[in-house]
Amino acid sequence: MRDGAAATRRRLLLAAGATALVLADPAAAAARSDQDILERLLARERRLESAYDAALRRGRLEERLALALRDQEREHARGIEMSLAARGRRPSDAPEPDPALADALRTREAFAAYALALEGRAVRAYVDALASLHDGHLLPSLGAIMASEAQHQVALRMSVGEPLLGRV
Amino acid sequence: MAGSLTRRGALGAAAVVLGSCGSGDPPPSTGARPGSGAGLLNSILVLEHAAVAAYAAGAGLLRGEARRYGRELEEQEREHVRRLEELIRGLGGTSARPRSPEEYARSFPLLHDGRDALRFARDMEERLVRAYLQALPKLPDAELRSAAAEIGADEGSHLAVINVLRGGPAAPRAFVTGTL
Repeated sequence: MRDGAAATRRRLLLAAGATALVLADPAAAAARSDQDILERLLARERRLESAYDAALRRGRLEERLALALRDQEREHARGIEMSLAARGRRPSDAPEPDPALADALRTREAFAAYALALEGRAVRAYVDALASLHDGHLLPSLGAIMASEAQHQVALRMSVGEPLLGRV
Repeated sequence: MAGSLTRRGALGAAAVVLGSCGSGDPPPSTGARPGSGAGLLNSILVLEHAAVAAYAAGAGLLRGEARRYGRELEEQEREHVRRLEELIRGLGGTSARPRSPEEYARSFPLLHDGRDALRFARDMEERLVRAYLQALPKLPDAELRSAAAEIGADEGSHLAVINVLRGGPAAPRAFVTGTL
């Protein structure tokens, strides 16, 4: 019994050591960290896509704009999914619906304010991601998505007659 | 209009202008440690100076809302200049100085009307977006990448405003990569 317990402890220690080695491998740690960042960005993209899709169905944004923004968010999401797949990670399921969305869908103005806030947080998330990611190959294409989200903010401001320019 | 700038002409002229004051040249000497990012930021600063001069040159040709936004965009480009200068100073470098208005006037394409001015502004903003995005993987630390990303996002929104002023959609493409 004592020998068995010792063997189990040895196996656990060996397993823990192997895990520590994997964790200590900077390349592996970096890759994992980049994957986590990509996952979070993907969740944002899906949330934006579902918001524009809901606005389209409820008529809370001019149809052509809602379609364009929804489709662009979908393209962003697809691009990030491909990056995740290339790194061996299957994207997680779509996030839970945002409880604030139902309230935002009451009026066009409320939806525009909600979407503007969502886009603003997305731009901030991309800025933070671009500062943190380890794989430099990801940066220009994620930067191109960030600039696209910044353009969405201009499109949304225009849709409600606000001044076009804001700050990041 | 025979004297009017064609798109190809404007793009060609912009490429010559920007190529001669941007990434086509070796980065200006900065005195900062090699690899610090100061040289790269200085190359972008040269472009930002040119953008400020381009908005100033186009201001007299723009009317109404376009003129108002032109001024606002010029002011935001000036803020980018100040921010880049601070970053370069922080790295121990010396910031590139702008050319004189006469030098810019000689190297810019001929602008006949507001449409020409907006087209040239669009070309400038495309070039700036590209410069910031391409700089990201080359900047050595998170603080510099964060600053470049923030300003790059600003340039993306500038491009959207110019798109609107030119009568198009603010956000025509899903990936805003800029152009050379």
